[in-house]
Amino acid sequence: MQSTDKKLIDAHCQGSPTAFEELVRRYGASVLGYLQRMCGSRELAEDFFQETFKRVHEKAYTFRGDSFKSWLFTMATRIVINSQRQRKQLKFISLNKKTEYSNVDCEKLETADISDNSHNSSDRVAVEEQKEQLREAIESLPDRQRATLILAYYEQLTYPQVAQVMDCSVGTVKTQMYRALRTLAKKLGEFNREAK
Amino acid sequence: MKRHITEKELIKYQFKLVSDIRAEQISEHLKSCSDCRELAKQLKQKFSTLDLLREETIVPDKLIKETVKQAKKPVQQRFISFRKSTGLGAIAAVLLLGIALLMSSLVGDKKQEREIAKNLIVSDSETGLDEGTQTTRNLLLDSREPAERKIADSRLRAKRPASERITKEVIPDKPPFAPASAIELVTLPRRENVQITIYNSADLTLVRERRNLTLKKGWNWLQFMWANTLIDPTSLVLEPLEQTDKIDIQQLVFPARLKEIGRWLIRSETSGKVPFEITYFTSGLSWRAFYMGTLTEDEKRMCLEGYVRVSNNSGEDYENAQTRLIVGKVHILDRIAELARRQYPYNRPGWLLSDERSESVAGGKFLKDKGLELNGKLFDMELGMLEPKEIKKEGLSEYFLYTIEGRETIPQSWSKRLISFTADDIEVNSLYKYDEERWGSQAIRFMAFANDKKHNLGETPIPNGDVKIYGQTGEQGYLSYVGGTNVKYIPVDEEIELNLGAAREVIVEPVLMNLEKENFTFDSNNNITGWDEVRTWKIDVTNTRQLPVDIEITRGFETSYWTLEMKGQDVSYEKHDATHSRFKTKLGPRSKRSFEYTIRIYHGKREETGTNIKLQKNIFREIKNER
Repeated sequence: MQSTDKKLIDAHCQGSPTAFEELVRRYGASVLGYLQRMCGSRELAEDFFQETFKRVHEKAYTFRGDSFKSWLFTMATRIVINSQRQRKQLKFISLNKKTEYSNVDCEKLETADISDNSHNSSDRVAVEEQKEQLREAIESLPDRQRATLILAYYEQLTYPQVAQVMDCSVGTVKTQMYRALRTLAKKLGEFNREAK
Repeated sequence: MKRHITEKELIKYQFKLVSDIRAEQISEHLKSCSDCRELAKQLKQKFSTLDLLREETIVPDKLIKETVKQAKKPVQQRFISFRKSTGLGAIAAVLLLGIALLMSSLVGDKKQEREIAKNLIVSDSETGLDEGTQTTRNLLLDSREPAERKIADSRLRAKRPASERITKEVIPDKPPFAPASAIELVTLPRRENVQITIYNSADLTLVRERRNLTLKKGWNWLQFMWANTLIDPTSLVLEPLEQTDKIDIQQLVFPARLKEIGRWLIRSETSGKVPFEITYFTSGLSWRAFYMGTLTEDEKRMCLEGYVRVSNNSGEDYENAQTRLIVGKVHILDRIAELARRQYPYNRPGWLLSDERSESVAGGKFLKDKGLELNGKLFDMELGMLEPKEIKKEGLSEYFLYTIEGRETIPQSWSKRLISFTADDIEVNSLYKYDEERWGSQAIRFMAFANDKKHNLGETPIPNGDVKIYGQTGEQGYLSYVGGTNVKYIPVDEEIELNLGAAREVIVEPVLMNLEKENFTFDSNNNITGWDEVRTWKIDVTNTRQLPVDIEITRGFETSYWTLEMKGQDVSYEKHDATHSRFKTKLGPRSKRSFEYTIRIYHGKREETGTNIKLQKNIFREIKNER
């Protein structure tokens, strides 16, 4: 796969009109999912997505063919972390935050309640509630812990790959991962107690 | 393994954060320990919640195409989507509305608004083309804002489109404060043009220089420094030469604690390069006229060349300067050199430096003489192969203005000699004068001509200066120094007589041949009351030159009661004044002539009865009778 990525990058550098689009399609879902989990907003994630691939487009000639995925996620991580550092200075409160993440809005849920009026719908609401709490828990993690968790758990990157993305040692990645999990474990325990 | 596994270790085990050996140990332990197995199960269940967010992300095709399109654009146009965020969209709308209201209230005339906008756009595009100019502007024009704010502003400006920037540039009413900081960054806009007008009589020079300054819209501080020069800071004037209706020079500030620095506060409604004229007085620039006359072999005609030497000891180099010289005296209140040396421009009056220093700075003898040595070299280097420049002359009020053709570079401590005029074939009269009372026992050579058209002159007055006369000798026309003097200002149609110094080839020797006293008068007591003193003088005149000469001999008698007699000699004489008679004669080449005269001087009572007195009294009586 890596060699294919390298070929696409080389083709792009040599002026191929389709190579870049192929790369976007190949890693788009993964990058967008990562960004979405990192920033907690679909529209911000789309902006970061564009920014990430723009940077890939511009810096493609600097890629040396080790691991394109790691290189891609390095860029995405830098963009999202830098952006979030800036955003912390000016916080926006989204009025539709509760529904934006899951693409399921309150109106649809209410409709489902009325039409179905069944156990499925109440379970679904409970699941959505749980998801929202989980999102909040992940969002509350420090940037590097959050990035490590998402890259390692959701994006299935190996720890050495995560270390490459985060530009640190594998040991540091493991420490970050453990700290993130420990925090989540506490919060998830609280959720479960509340649920019971 | 009897010890239970901790939750920490179980988490690490579950997420493969422990080493392989430790993982194997934990795995073995879990097989045998039901408690730990239960704890691990709970943890696994707990972390299974994480999978709730493991949803498959779908990337819309539109987003992919948009991403590819955006990536291929050279400049990023959109970073944060306002379209998709109602919050950001609302903020943007409020901002735009506010800006629009602000602009409409500030600028009533929309036409003018459009013009200003147009100008700004032009200047922006100019700065975009010329990065150096932009840097110059940033460095030169100090908006006096904190550095962080400046950086933030510049970043914002870079991101904002040009039209948005125009609407934001509103000039505040209150000018920025100019801190008296000694460390500044400035650029040095070069002189585009400089004109110096040297008033020699008063050690005063008017300098008018043109520089292109880069202004930004709003308030600008312009710093002017004159360290180690002799500029009079109280005379500084700054004027824009273009867009005068848009540029307002508000004040000239001399910051406290800083020497030889002035700052102009300029309010500009435009941005970009604007030509300015800076005018000031300085001292240390001077000029001198001097002349070189070359006589023909018969010494009846002369070629006269006039020169001007401009010396610069002002502390400043004036490059490609149009140079004008003023003949005539001007009245000034203060000496510029003294003003320039003040610690602060408006110091208490009467704070002067020693005369010694002012002389040395104002271009004393030493420097001038040194300048003469440099002068020749400079002339050879820069003007030797060029046609001499014309010096235009014109009347200027009470003065006369000479403008040197073209431009001259006059560096500090240098002097430069320029040709002022050349007049050929000037008819001159050579005359040798002998007057013991004035010049002792030697004849003095004079040369006379007039500053009129008959003598191929008379176009302008001739400024005072040194004259050196050379004569041509030998068939090859070698020059020999005849003599030199200093002439005063010669108006048009006035005669000038040049004293060329002692003449050794024309000798006048008066010899007293006889002395008698006679015609004594006595009073009733036989005391002498008057007598006549009769002296006979022989004058020997020798001309050793190969040219004929005219000689004028003046003899003084120290009294007005005298009569003179000459008999049968080829020498004319006239009574020059009450106490002097004057003899005129011509001598051929290498010739000698002698003549005698008898002078009778009346003393005492004889003064009343002497010949002259009698005549005068007779005339007086006749006049009285007629009345």
